[in-house]
Order: sequence, then C-alpha cells, then structure tokens
Amino acid sequence: MPRKRGSTNAITSAAAFILLEVAALAMLGSSSTMKDIWFNRASMRVNAFLWGAAENMRNHFRLETQNDSLAALNAALEARLRQYELREAGMEEKSHEVFLNDQRFRYIPATVVRMGRGTAHNYVIVNKGQEDGIRPQSGIITSDGVVGIISAVGRRYSYGLTLMNPNVTISTRIGQAGVDAPLRWDGRDSNTAVAGDIPPHYDIAPGDTVRTSGFSSIFPAGIPIGTTQDSRLVNGSSRQVDVRLFQDFRSIHYVTIVENLDSDEILALEKNATSGES
Amino acid sequence: MKGGTYILKCALFIIAQAVIWNCCNFTQYLTVTFLPAIILGMPVRQRPVLSMAIAFAAGLAADFLCGAPLGLSSAALVPAALVRRGTIRLVFGNEILVARREELSANRQGWMKMAMATAMLTMLFLAVYIAIDSAGTRPLWMDAVKFAASAAVSIPLSLPIADTLCTDADSRWK
Repeated sequence: MPRKRGSTNAITSAAAFILLEVAALAMLGSSSTMKDIWFNRASMRVNAFLWGAAENMRNHFRLETQNDSLAALNAALEARLRQYELREAGMEEKSHEVFLNDQRFRYIPATVVRMGRGTAHNYVIVNKGQEDGIRPQSGIITSDGVVGIISAVGRRYSYGLTLMNPNVTISTRIGQAGVDAPLRWDGRDSNTAVAGDIPPHYDIAPGDTVRTSGFSSIFPAGIPIGTTQDSRLVNGSSRQVDVRLFQDFRSIHYVTIVENLDSDEILALEKNATSGES
Repeated sequence: MKGGTYILKCALFIIAQAVIWNCCNFTQYLTVTFLPAIILGMPVRQRPVLSMAIAFAAGLAADFLCGAPLGLSSAALVPAALVRRGTIRLVFGNEILVARREELSANRQGWMKMAMATAMLTMLFLAVYIAIDSAGTRPLWMDAVKFAASAAVSIPLSLPIADTLCTDADSRWK
C-alpha cells in the first residue's frame, strides 16, 4: 500500500513538473509577442513606477556629469554647424543631411525610466507612450548612436528591446566601401556588437565607421553606431566583423524616439506583396 | 504558523531579489540569486507538487517585478523544487523527513550540510537559468564563466537566507 502511494506521488510530481515547465517555457517562448498583452503591460507599469523613482534618484546624483556631457555635446554641435556652413557638401555630408532633413521621420525626446543591462535579454522603458504618439517598431537613438527598438506601447510608457538583446538586428552600412550588413549584439560586453553576412571578398579595415543603412523602416540612414575592429571569415562563406559601439549603455538617461511617418504605408505594401505572392 | 511566517519571509526575499536584479547590474558574467534558498527554506514535509507550484509563482513574481522575460526564473526554479526533497534526503539523511520530523536548521544539522544543500539547489537553478537565458546566443565558455562566477557569489549569499527561512524557533531542540 505505501509503495502504491509512493508511485502515485511520483507520477503526480512528474506530471506537475512537466506541466509547470511547459507553462514556463511557453510563456518564455512567446514573451516577445506577449509584451503587448495586459499582463506584460501591467509588469511594465509596475516596473516604471517602482524603479523609476530609484532611477530618478540615481540620475539626480549624475546631474553634474550629465551637464558636462550636454555642454560637450552643445560645443560639438556648434562646431559641426560651423563646419557645415563652411564646407562644400561632400558625399559624407550629403548622406548625413539626408538623415537630418529627412521629413519622413519624426523625433520625440524621451527619458529612460528603467533599463535592464545585466541579462542576455535587455530592455528599456521610456516615459513616453500612446498619449505622446509613440508607436511600436519605432527606433530609439541618442547622439551616440542606436539604443534599440520600441516593442510595446502603453498609455504613458513604452517598452523597448535594446541593442543588447539577441532579438534586435539593425541594418547597417560599413565604411567607405558601403557594405551592407546586419548588426547584432555579441552577448559579451555592453559596448561591442557583430556585423555579419558580409561577402568574403570585402576587406573591412579596422576603424571604419558603421552607420545605419536606412534599409529598414525603423531608423533613418546615416546614424553612426560604432567603428569596426577585427574581422574574420565564417565557414569560408561570409565575413564577420567586430564593432565597437559609440553608445555607452551604462549611462543612458535621455533618448530620442524616431518614428517613420510612412511606416504604415510601407507595412501595408509589404503585407499586400506577401498576400499577393501566396 | 511556520507556513505563514514562511510566506511572509518568502515575499520579502522575492522583493529583495527583484531589487538586486534591478539595481545591481554588475556585469554580463554574473547573476546574483538566492531564489533557490527560498525553495530550500520551505517546510521540510511540504509536498513536491505544492513546492513546485510555489516555485513557479515565486519565479513569476521575481520576473514580473524586475522586467525579465516572464517564465525564465520559473523554468529554472521548478526543477530545483522537484529535487528539493531528494536533496534534503541525500544531504541531511532520511530521518529528518521521517523519524525526527523536524525542520532544517544550520545550528542543529551543521553549516556544512546546509551549505551543501544550498549549493546543490543553487547550481541546478543557475545551470538551467543561464542555459535558457543565453540559448543560441552565447558560446558555451561564456555560460561556463557566468555559471562559475554566479555560483561563487550566490551560494555564500544564499546560505544565511536559507537558514533564516528554515529556522523554526519553536522546535529548536528535540
């Protein structure tokens, strides 16, 4: 009799274990799409409320550093403005002007409320939401480069995946050669990423600047992301290059949300094309 | 009484875990956790099914509070709850569960045994957690370094927490 009870207990435990593990893994597997459902929105609100206050307090002590960096940024912008006034528009400036004057994009300043940095799936919560006109699939940038992509939008807050997340890939263009390559985080440091799928015959020189290509509807072309470092052949068929990011993810406080005003039209076109093919 | 005290302490430690995960981003190579100590600190004769349900809920609460992908901690904590009784039987002996019917305590059973049980559950949790968290994105050596560093920090931290949760003052000496 005790043996029978023991085996029943073992079967019950095994069944409960399998059930709970499957439930946990199913939640985990659909976590990126689940970010838009009420449970995750509640989690986002709770996080913004709980940790926003702590982040604000921490930022208060960083004000001096922030002021210094803003002053430096101001000086750099002034210098750049003067440079533009004096120089003839070369190829590089032209591409940058496209980014600055690109009327297809709207820029909304926002403050980081919460930022995860310690795991493999890092995220950012900003203090702008639907009420401010933010929509999913908008880009998050700073003056130092790309931060991430908005994935869920609440009434007053938005949740985004940072570049330090394996689910985020950014279309980039490398250096003078203008090689296009998808860039994603290497999972190691907060300041390095990897650009891959480069044809093997391209020789990537260390120190080349990596910018957004503008091929996706999320980011405008020409936003600087980082500089190239070592490159290597992968399986003999493509080249991979390490990229040192300009963006320091440890000290982000202010960001800019970039929204493509034509994204609805682009998505509708893509949808029509896909449904037409099938 | 033990159950009520345990739930209260458990809730406090889950909040503390969320604070650590939110406010202390040391490095990519370190995950500081004492969630397995919460599982070890459950009443000794708790049924495994209930232990796993509590582990699932505790993991979900921790993920919810710190904005991690939901289900990550639960997926790692449920196996720790499954092997909890086996670990106690292995480390402390069978009589603690059957004959003496007393709760775990580092003072009574010894810090070495407590450390061993805590280490076993923490390492199981970390192995599953790190494997799922970095699935398909990081090389094995990075996971191994993270596992070693996290275990080295988390086990000493978990030990007093497990003892706090386990100690039953009413039945200190039998």
